Amino acid sequence: MADLYPSLAQCAIVATAFKVLLFPAYKSTDFEVHRNWLAITHSLPVQEWYYEKSSEWTLDYPPFFAAFEWMLSQAARYADPAMLVVKNLNYDSWQTIYFQRTTVIVTELVLLFALSRFVKSVSQQNKHLAHIASLSIFLSPGLLIIDHIHFQYNGFLYGILILSIVLARRQSTLLYSGITFAVLLCLKHIYLYLALAYFVYLGRAYCLDPKSVFRPRFFNIIKLGVCVVGVFALAFGPFASWGQLLQLKDRLFPFSRGLCHAYWAPNVWAMYSFADRALIPFAARLGLSVNRDALASVTRGLVGDTSFAILPEVTKEHTFGLTFLFQLLPLIKLWLRPDWETFVGAITLCGYASFLFGWHVHEKAVLLIIIPFSLIALKDRRYFSAFRPLAVAGHVSLFPLLFTAGEFPIKTVYTILWLVLFLYVFDQVAPVSEQRRVFVADRFSLLYLTFAIPLIVYCSVVHQLIFGLERYEFLPLMFMSSYSALGVVGSWVGFMVVFFTA
Amino acid sequence: MAPPPSSYRPRKKRKFPSSFTGSNNSLIVETDGKASPAFPLVSFLWSARAGVSQWLVLPLILMAVGLFRWAVSLWGYSGFQVPPMHGDFEAQRHWMEITIHLPVAKWYLYDLQYWGLDYPPLTAYHSWLLGKLGSLFDPAWFALDESRGFEDPLLKVFMRGTVIASEYLIFIPAVVNFLRRYTRTQNVPVWSASIALVAILLQPATILIDHGHFQYNTVMLGLVVASLDAILAGRMLWACIFFVGALGFKQMALYYAPIMFAFLLGVCIFPKIHIIRLLCISLVTAVAFVVLFLPLILGQSVLYAVAFQLAQTIHRVFPFARGLFEDKVANAWCAIHTFYKLHRFEASLLQRMSLGATLASILAPCAIIFRHPRASLLLPALSSVAWGFFLFSFQVHEKSVLLPLLPMTLLLAGDGGLSKETRAWVGWANILGSWTMFPLLARDELRVPYFVMTLLWAFLLGLPPTSLEIFRGRASLEDNTLGAELHVLTKLLHACFYLAMIAWHVLEAFVAPPPGKPDLWVVLNALIGAGGFGIAYLWCAWKLIQQCRRIDQKAADETDKKNQ
Repeated sequence: MADLYPSLAQCAIVATAFKVLLFPAYKSTDFEVHRNWLAITHSLPVQEWYYEKSSEWTLDYPPFFAAFEWMLSQAARYADPAMLVVKNLNYDSWQTIYFQRTTVIVTELVLLFALSRFVKSVSQQNKHLAHIASLSIFLSPGLLIIDHIHFQYNGFLYGILILSIVLARRQSTLLYSGITFAVLLCLKHIYLYLALAYFVYLGRAYCLDPKSVFRPRFFNIIKLGVCVVGVFALAFGPFASWGQLLQLKDRLFPFSRGLCHAYWAPNVWAMYSFADRALIPFAARLGLSVNRDALASVTRGLVGDTSFAILPEVTKEHTFGLTFLFQLLPLIKLWLRPDWETFVGAITLCGYASFLFGWHVHEKAVLLIIIPFSLIALKDRRYFSAFRPLAVAGHVSLFPLLFTAGEFPIKTVYTILWLVLFLYVFDQVAPVSEQRRVFVADRFSLLYLTFAIPLIVYCSVVHQLIFGLERYEFLPLMFMSSYSALGVVGSWVGFMVVFFTA
Repeated sequence: MAPPPSSYRPRKKRKFPSSFTGSNNSLIVETDGKASPAFPLVSFLWSARAGVSQWLVLPLILMAVGLFRWAVSLWGYSGFQVPPMHGDFEAQRHWMEITIHLPVAKWYLYDLQYWGLDYPPLTAYHSWLLGKLGSLFDPAWFALDESRGFEDPLLKVFMRGTVIASEYLIFIPAVVNFLRRYTRTQNVPVWSASIALVAILLQPATILIDHGHFQYNTVMLGLVVASLDAILAGRMLWACIFFVGALGFKQMALYYAPIMFAFLLGVCIFPKIHIIRLLCISLVTAVAFVVLFLPLILGQSVLYAVAFQLAQTIHRVFPFARGLFEDKVANAWCAIHTFYKLHRFEASLLQRMSLGATLASILAPCAIIFRHPRASLLLPALSSVAWGFFLFSFQVHEKSVLLPLLPMTLLLAGDGGLSKETRAWVGWANILGSWTMFPLLARDELRVPYFVMTLLWAFLLGLPPTSLEIFRGRASLEDNTLGAELHVLTKLLHACFYLAMIAWHVLEAFVAPPPGKPDLWVVLNALIGAGGFGIAYLWCAWKLIQQCRRIDQKAADETDKKNQ
């Protein structure tokens, strides 16, 4: 009999204590973003929500999230009414900080609930694996850094995602899974990246007969269609009736941004930029033409619009094409074998594809891969060895989000603690796989891990000691980003192999 | 009467009373035929019970407790934005400033009105080192006179970092080593030791004062623990050196001095007289003191100046000129003063009264330790003497409660230390200790960390107000052994105190004190605290006597067996 200690609730209590202590920690502009949304939803009529622009942080989440902010604002009135004034830009009284930080902690209970449902849904003999995976998600340094320091509501949103994944486990609750996911899309549209996996899975497992593709189950199709359309109608219907859909589209999908974010998310484009930069010194020798305009921005390293000096430009169409292509591959397999584990694997791979090839990807989006992957990382050792570099790279790549000296010990020590603890425990409990493991992949994974520590030390301490704070400040960022990109891409390739050979 | 131990017995053969089996039994309870953790802290280390390497468990524990320390340090510190004098943070920064800029001879004389240096020399050297380090980052933090009241966020990070670094270089290695040796002599399994280590390192009062309020107590406490460790290892001379170091860092270590003195004297006399050992110990102690003061003395040329310097140092360090007690502190004098004003007596009479009461309270523990100089008796002896000092001595500060709490909390690592009884008492004293510091912490805007850290500790150890487990009888694996169930009176007493503490918080938060008595709640806090600490003193003294008798009994049994 496996012991489930410490329990989720006990971990949640200790983690909450720690998170409360982080109240005075650094908070990013996202804090002001959410305060502004509280103010907008509280003091303006719904028609004006998506038109208000006193602050540069306009409302750019779908309507359900706005409604969520409206609900929070009802309680915020009692904490400090001044935070609900639209003109009070950058208002941060301690009541506001306590209130907003508390809402993050409280809404994270959704994640706790979803994880406890996940543990319950697993068979008795694998319960301890699910329990460990749940703890790793709940205590994830990603959520700690992004939600409780940087400030966002990912715990709540990923809770809903996991709930919907867990509901997809049984045939009888497939419909609710679809509805939950539709609700999630109306809360934050970044989950559109995973929508294709849901579409294929629900289409195959719910709308068609399990035995034959050619026997649609019409009643199921109608039920699912009505419910999903109903959810979207509820969210967007009012705005449609006011004729605001185009405005919503502009707000939700701001395509004016560049390929790479200010700081490069560790994806293929980061490696592409790195290669471009590395080629500059050799350009003359190789007889390549150099785009002079790009050079200035390239050496600065911190730009919104990266343009390339040597390699060809990348357009939005390219990124969409690649993302779609690499999402399609796992979906074919999912169509052929619509079981739950393939479904979670396909979600993970959809997350990978959009993170690696997407346009203007933010490093925070790495959770889109890590969290679904955690649910199946303990299936066997092959999954785990694909997960390992991702866990290291994904979390390390979040470090630049926090750049203040006071938070440096927290992000590094917490992440190292989590990595040591969970990678060790995962390694102890992951069952042996039925198939042979790939020797090269294992060695790559080990080499990759050993390289992490000197790199972190270099980027956070040694670099400043050698060059000072000002000179070549882009260098550590570039190294970290390229290193992390290597890890994410490596783990993606590894997981593709595991997924298609399983 | 128990016959005295007949002959010299080597340390390793010492047997321990059989009522505690030296097992993990007090950590595991049985529910529905399945083993489950007795309190939440056990469940966090549940998977480590099958013997996971200490090379993994220890770093994880140290990282986790370090995170809590750093998180507390994000909050306010004493004297933040309170000109002109600010608080302890400014005092420590100011000492760094004067030690790196002034010649040694001026350290104890420079502008005494503004946070003149009033800690012993080791603190001054420590400040000098940190000041030099900090000047590498930014000399403006410690510019002479210019930097007074400097409050840069980066300076705060640096200062907080020095507290953590000092603690991880001194206190934590000392505690880890001490626990390793102590648990081995007490036959406590490694798993229990790890759990006790977490409990000790998360002690709320120490974290709140050092990392919240801002002080370097853990350096002094760490040196004391290192000294205890040396005693356990049988290295008496090292024990002297470490203890002199502790005294040289903070004069508050004097609370422990009578026991250390009695113990070291005791080991030279009982069971038989060791003149050479006595000489060595005295010599090493004297040399250590001389070395400690040497830099100060070398700064002078004339003998007169030397004497003046020493006198000045000692005068600064022991401020007898101040009153019997400062502020509202939970000790006997403040409690008596509430009902019977002590101003009517002369200062010298009060001083003699205080001296007499302190001596009376520490006499019995000192005598026991002198007659039975055993390392295993040191912890209860140290804590009872420190409680005696805290309750009755002169010029006690509420932060001094850390001194009796440390050895008392270390009892958790002893044999049966995590049993219900010890856990309940030690936990109660710790919670009461941090509760009496609430008025101080509230001034520093540390209310939230106070509640979080204290409740977290109570939760982890399964204590009220988060859990009523200690009041319930539960079928445990340690049935029929001592300490399985709390005495009814203990339960009643603890329940009263916990209720009083909760009620006090409610009063303090929601009811304004009556107009004529603005300090009523603080006085009430001190009164309840003084009562509780008196009980804690009695418990420690009783614990000492109990353990001493058990060892005597054991020795007598062994002699009987030999004679048969």
